[in-house]
Amino acid sequence: MIELEGIERTYHRPGGAPVRALREISLRIERGEFLAVVGASGSGKSTLMNVLGLLDRPDAGRYRLDGEDVSQLGIDAQARLRNRRIGFVFQSFHLLPRTSALENVELPLLYSDRASIAGLGRRALEAVGLADRVDHKPSELSGGQQQRVAIARALVNEPDLLLADEPTGNLDEQAAGEIMDIFHTLHAAGRTIVLVTHDPDLAAHCDRICRLEMGRLISDHRRADGRTAAQAEPALLDAQEGA
Amino acid sequence: MSRTTARLVAHSFKALNRFRFRSAVLMLGSLVGVTALTLVVSVGKGAERKMLATVRQLFGGSSILLVTGGGRIIGGPRPGAARLTLDEVAGLVRQLPEVEAWDPQQGLTGEPVRAAGATTTARILGESERFERVWNRSVVQGEPFDAAAVAGSARVALIGATVARDLFGTEDPLGAEIQIGSVRFRVVGLLEPFGTDAHGMDRDAEIIVPLTTLQRRVMNVDTISGAKLLVRDPARVEGTAKALKALLRERHALAPGQPDDFTLITATQVQKMVGKVQRVLFVFLPLVAAVSLVVGCVVAASLMLASVSARVGEIGLRRAVGARPWDVQLQFLLETAVTSLGGGVLGLVAGLGLAQWAAIRFTLGGVFSWQAILLGLGASALTGLLAGVAPARRAARLAPADALR
Repeated sequence: MIELEGIERTYHRPGGAPVRALREISLRIERGEFLAVVGASGSGKSTLMNVLGLLDRPDAGRYRLDGEDVSQLGIDAQARLRNRRIGFVFQSFHLLPRTSALENVELPLLYSDRASIAGLGRRALEAVGLADRVDHKPSELSGGQQQRVAIARALVNEPDLLLADEPTGNLDEQAAGEIMDIFHTLHAAGRTIVLVTHDPDLAAHCDRICRLEMGRLISDHRRADGRTAAQAEPALLDAQEGA
Repeated sequence: MSRTTARLVAHSFKALNRFRFRSAVLMLGSLVGVTALTLVVSVGKGAERKMLATVRQLFGGSSILLVTGGGRIIGGPRPGAARLTLDEVAGLVRQLPEVEAWDPQQGLTGEPVRAAGATTTARILGESERFERVWNRSVVQGEPFDAAAVAGSARVALIGATVARDLFGTEDPLGAEIQIGSVRFRVVGLLEPFGTDAHGMDRDAEIIVPLTTLQRRVMNVDTISGAKLLVRDPARVEGTAKALKALLRERHALAPGQPDDFTLITATQVQKMVGKVQRVLFVFLPLVAAVSLVVGCVVAASLMLASVSARVGEIGLRRAVGARPWDVQLQFLLETAVTSLGGGVLGLVAGLGLAQWAAIRFTLGGVFSWQAILLGLGASALTGLLAGVAPARRAARLAPADALR
């Protein structure tokens, strides 16, 4: 579904040395995969997610989405692709304050070319178990509930690809567990999920773990034959044992 | 309009509620400006209509107004002003064949007038029997006085609507007796209601009596304060005025270079005065009102810029879920325009209401004006648009990846 080939991204900061956030990243992600991108902060994993989400343009390399080269598409065409095919979940939820859960969920529909959008927002909220909270404002919801609203928003346009950047970073353990349960359900239903995290426990939920270091993809392990991806990923195991 | 545009319009109304404080301040800005603009333009229109009506009625295209005293258009004689008598002006007019009719005038202002049980003050005008024709005023009830009444100094009076109301209420004033100073008059007619003139004077608080009666019985003078002359051919008004001026200067033995001791006003001068008043009404006053709109626009722009800075995360999120830069720009333009137009509509209502009040208070007549409505709506839409452009562009230029950080 996704093919990255030789992706480069360098930031030029005024008055500083250029930062090579991504170097020669090549990666294939198949439809239905549940993949974690791990790495220390500054390793380039957020940049990778921005490139995957068409929020940032690589300086070099090719990004094919279902065979189509999308990295050179115009800004408006990329916006349309994000709207139809990609759902985002952020660490800080990014819900509009003073706006009901339902209206937050319906935000992507505002920019959709669907003729009928009635009922879609409500259905997405039901899918994350918040059918009884449609009229609540974010300030009236717990952190876990807010992130579930954000997931409902990411799902409302039925995207193929779900990109989650530290989705449980602001949540307590129980709420984080609920969010991961939702991801497992979505994965079981066949959705492609890319989870960016520095948390080994979270990455352990995934079928495949890609590790970034200094902008390079240094390891890529899959769950296979009874071993979890985490077991196949020695560095991760070390981190878990050390914890 | 695309689906997204239509949805964004509806969305922008929700932003009114989401950012109540900002919306209130923005609306207030355009409300004040549009109120001022609408008020000024509506009242200006009313004042202009009134002024033109007065000018038309009292000063048709082919008339010359002769007033004793030099220098100013309206007001009583100045010290050193020439004495004009009825016979003198009559003699002059005989030398001007272009004059088809004329009416001499003498007057008293703020004169107490009594009737059985009631008192008021009125402006008393002494005129000839030709006043109806020359001043374009008519008697709506009863009969005007005739030449014989003027020759015989008859004590008959024609009263205006305000005088009639003050002295007689709803009773019929015809045939009643009134006392001007210490002289008794019989009311023989009611003047057609006129309203307020260009100087804010209530022209219905007037009483017209035969000139000679006012001169001899009330004021004890033999002078007139002025006269109005009608010229047969409008094209010869200026020429006739020049001839009259020469005759008057000669009679008053004024040396060349000495100023006139009388004033002649022709339609040309009135037109100039009207033009000046119109400039004040429709250029200067609206400009002053527009200043408050400009201030409102600047305030709106800075508030919206602050709003964009505060909502960087929201802008990033919108881009992430599929908003094109143009959609973001449109959103902020609409938010500004909707608030500004909302304030503008409220200001329009307030301005028209105030204008209506002013019209009643100052008897201006109809002040409703389409120009005021179009100008008010246009001005608020324009300020909204202008105020929204810079913030909207800044919002649209944000890189989504940076905005989400």
